[in-house]
Amino acid sequence: MWAKTVTGNFAKVIHGLNANQLTDEVIQRSKRMILDTLGVGLLGTSTEVFHKVAQYSKIYSSDLSSTIWGHLDFRLPPLYAAFVNGVAVHSMDFDDTWHPATHPSGAVLPALIALSEAFPQKKKISGLDLLLAFNVGIEVQGRLLHFSREARNIPRRFHPPAVVGTMGSAAACAKLLALDQLECKNALAIAASYAGAPLANAATQIKPLHIGNAAKNGLEAACLALQGLQGNKQILDMESGMGAFYTDYNPQTLPTLQSYPWLLDQQDVAIKRFPAHLATHWVADAASSVRRKLVESSESLLPIDKIEKVILKVPEVKYVNRPSPASEHEARHSFQFVACSALLDGSMSVQSFSSENIDRPALRELLCKTQLEHPPDNTPSFDSLYCQVSVTLRDSSTISDRCTTFYGHWRKPLEKEDLEKKFQSNVLNILPTESMEGIIETVYNLEKVEDCSVLSTFLSGQSASTSREAALPLSVPANSYVLFTKSMQNSGQTLA
Amino acid sequence: MSPTVRQRSKRMILDSIGVGLVGSTTPVFDIALRYCRLYSSVAVSSVYGKPGVKLSPTLAAFTNGVATHSMDFDDTWHPATHPSGAILPALLAASQMLPPNTKPNGLDFLLAFNVGLEVQGRLMHFSTEAHDIPKRFHPPSVVGTLGSAAATAKLLSLSSAQCCHALGIAASLAGAPMANAATQAKPLHVGNATRLGLEAALLAGRGMEANPLILDDIPGCSGFSAFYSVYQPKPLSAPGEHHEFLLEKQDIAFKRFPAHLGMHWVVDAALSVRNLFINYAGSFSPSLIRTIMLKIPVSKYINRPFPSSEHQARHSFQFNACAALLDGEVGLGSFSESSIHRQELRELLDKVVVEHPEDNVANFDKMYGEVALLLHSGDVLTGKCDTFYGHWRKPLSKESLLKKFRSNASHVLPEEKIEAIITLVDNLENLSDSSQLACTSGAPTTSLQEKFLHQQHIPNT
Repeated sequence: MWAKTVTGNFAKVIHGLNANQLTDEVIQRSKRMILDTLGVGLLGTSTEVFHKVAQYSKIYSSDLSSTIWGHLDFRLPPLYAAFVNGVAVHSMDFDDTWHPATHPSGAVLPALIALSEAFPQKKKISGLDLLLAFNVGIEVQGRLLHFSREARNIPRRFHPPAVVGTMGSAAACAKLLALDQLECKNALAIAASYAGAPLANAATQIKPLHIGNAAKNGLEAACLALQGLQGNKQILDMESGMGAFYTDYNPQTLPTLQSYPWLLDQQDVAIKRFPAHLATHWVADAASSVRRKLVESSESLLPIDKIEKVILKVPEVKYVNRPSPASEHEARHSFQFVACSALLDGSMSVQSFSSENIDRPALRELLCKTQLEHPPDNTPSFDSLYCQVSVTLRDSSTISDRCTTFYGHWRKPLEKEDLEKKFQSNVLNILPTESMEGIIETVYNLEKVEDCSVLSTFLSGQSASTSREAALPLSVPANSYVLFTKSMQNSGQTLA
Repeated sequence: MSPTVRQRSKRMILDSIGVGLVGSTTPVFDIALRYCRLYSSVAVSSVYGKPGVKLSPTLAAFTNGVATHSMDFDDTWHPATHPSGAILPALLAASQMLPPNTKPNGLDFLLAFNVGLEVQGRLMHFSTEAHDIPKRFHPPSVVGTLGSAAATAKLLSLSSAQCCHALGIAASLAGAPMANAATQAKPLHVGNATRLGLEAALLAGRGMEANPLILDDIPGCSGFSAFYSVYQPKPLSAPGEHHEFLLEKQDIAFKRFPAHLGMHWVVDAALSVRNLFINYAGSFSPSLIRTIMLKIPVSKYINRPFPSSEHQARHSFQFNACAALLDGEVGLGSFSESSIHRQELRELLDKVVVEHPEDNVANFDKMYGEVALLLHSGDVLTGKCDTFYGHWRKPLSKESLLKKFRSNASHVLPEEKIEAIITLVDNLENLSDSSQLACTSGAPTTSLQEKFLHQQHIPNT
């Protein structure tokens, strides 16, 4: 079967090639390459850079481990805890969004929490330490986004969390590890070499890994910097550095430390009310409002057969334009899907994206009647976009509503009760009530918490009665201090 | 932190945790988790030159990949990338990961290696940008990652659909900026390419799915095209018909000394003019030289008048030319701290002037190196090199390649292991268990000799 796409074609060829097709020339040349590479690699094991990464990689043979949120049954090395928890945060596209556009918290928090558990017993990380490092990670992301005008709009090329998120995670972890200035510079330089993932993987199952990897790789970069690894100290200045990810790139120095103006002070995040791409939140609010005008009571069914067409006036965002999504990942990135769901059900929730709901005949029918329009004044920026939903009935009457600011957007932030309700509803079937309440209380009083390992304990779901024992961290074996000790300066020394 | 900042950030933390907790019920989370739990198990993959040390497969691949590129001594192809370091470590690590009764044989291994090469080459042909020495993203981190994914997918016998997803996943793990070249972090580009490609294949094997059109050009939403400003993908010929591997028509360059490929032209040119100079003056007398003129292509990251570290020195036309002039050869020792900071060398560097003739394009297939000595006497001696020994147009002889290998390997392995590896690779197609190649850095000598002796009973086809 011939594949219709280049990608599919590649896959076919990779899969289909067999040994018969290797010619003598190819065999001979490739064997030369293999031999040379082995020799070069063997020689390379005597280098300083090799010593540093080998030292670093040995961590995975130790018992050092961090909590997996919602799981008591097992733990993972900090890097992979950061990865897995990061994936969890972005798995449903339910996490926060900032302006300029990125998902800032998911790239930073999992790394910090995982890292905080990896410190030796006598070193406690306080809630304030965590809060400060978190904000450093957020700030760095925001500042980097301001270096490019491209970043103000909904992305088209690289997925921002993979770019600035990795850098933010590196910065946050560098802060928590109390790296010196040179090490911080190197952490950023190293992180840049891990940054970047193409946007085409949005709306697929791999998108959550962009955040997971951002968290993990930033942590790795910070750890490697601590081991003494060095990168380009002008990584943020150069076009061939951070500039590689943008077509226009103008780095600026940050404000002076004295009364530092945090970006988060001037620009809040948006918190999502349902798990889908941010742009769909405008559509949902407009559609819900139109539905209220169409039906007398909220229990009534939407009269689909009376509907002629549904027109959505939205900004042009290719990867959220999906007339007929086939998976939950696609549904979360579909103006059309969210509009029709909200029209049918009155509001959106986690359940809206179940496969039963995605495949509903009523929904499919409504989707067929739905079209998009892209008014020129509707710019693809989370700060200025709007969505208008117009339902035209068979009798030619039209019911419309326009949403310029949805509830949860930074111009109309969620009330404290609603933020808590979202949290409780999410956590209900995952953690026992006391853990849930414990987290809320700990976070609200974070700056006063002396030892933030209590947060990890609650996250694992450990009950209060045993949590006092759990508050004593698992005894951390000697070789795990490898994470925190710098490698010796002379490369001649082999490290145990 | 102001109260606003505190308050907002705490809200963000709370929301993030909740979202993460509910997210731990999703299929994608399950896959990621199952994958990571591998790391709780025993480390199975060997590390070059470290008998007795084993790491988990992706980290062994990472470490060995870093080793391969640590000195910029590894192979270079055209269009430009370092292809082998991005795939071999992953294959070695993966071969050790597989259970005993499913170990790939040598021919499978060789095939997977070539699939990895082929994919890298084909991808680079999608962009005219790739033909020149890179400026934005470091090629091994772009095509190398996908090459590693393809090679590993082949070795692990993933289905066609899984191969497709492996490529898609790998794309999200690709890409490192050029600015880290000539720094200690550069070797990580190859380490990560090979590690992450392996990771992508493992994830695909466990059911992870990505964009099936990742290599296609979709305007408005970049896939692999994100890494290039000009991108024109083309399909490969269908398997089943005779497939011509790129390696058939385009050989590789092997380096004779550990520095960026561009250096090899100026070194050969410098050695040639050095001979002329010695004939002229009886010996190499720097005091007679007024100016050293280098004619080189334009490429910022290898134009360094006064390198201060080994990494910078390996990426400096000026340094390599002067080292060759001074010492009559460039080798491992040329890049040590003491060598780099030698007074005589610094004095020579002071005399260097650089020119960028228009006909000297920044392209490994077309560039040349010219070194001219402008003497105080007024005489000018010139050396020029179009094709250095080791370039694909003038490949290293078998003897030279073996000499390089023996010299390199002798730093960490005893002679018998060195010879054993040479024999294993030479007879790769006949090997029944290719994981032996990986073990040679760690296995006890006797068992290896037994296996080697066993091999010798197989008649050569």
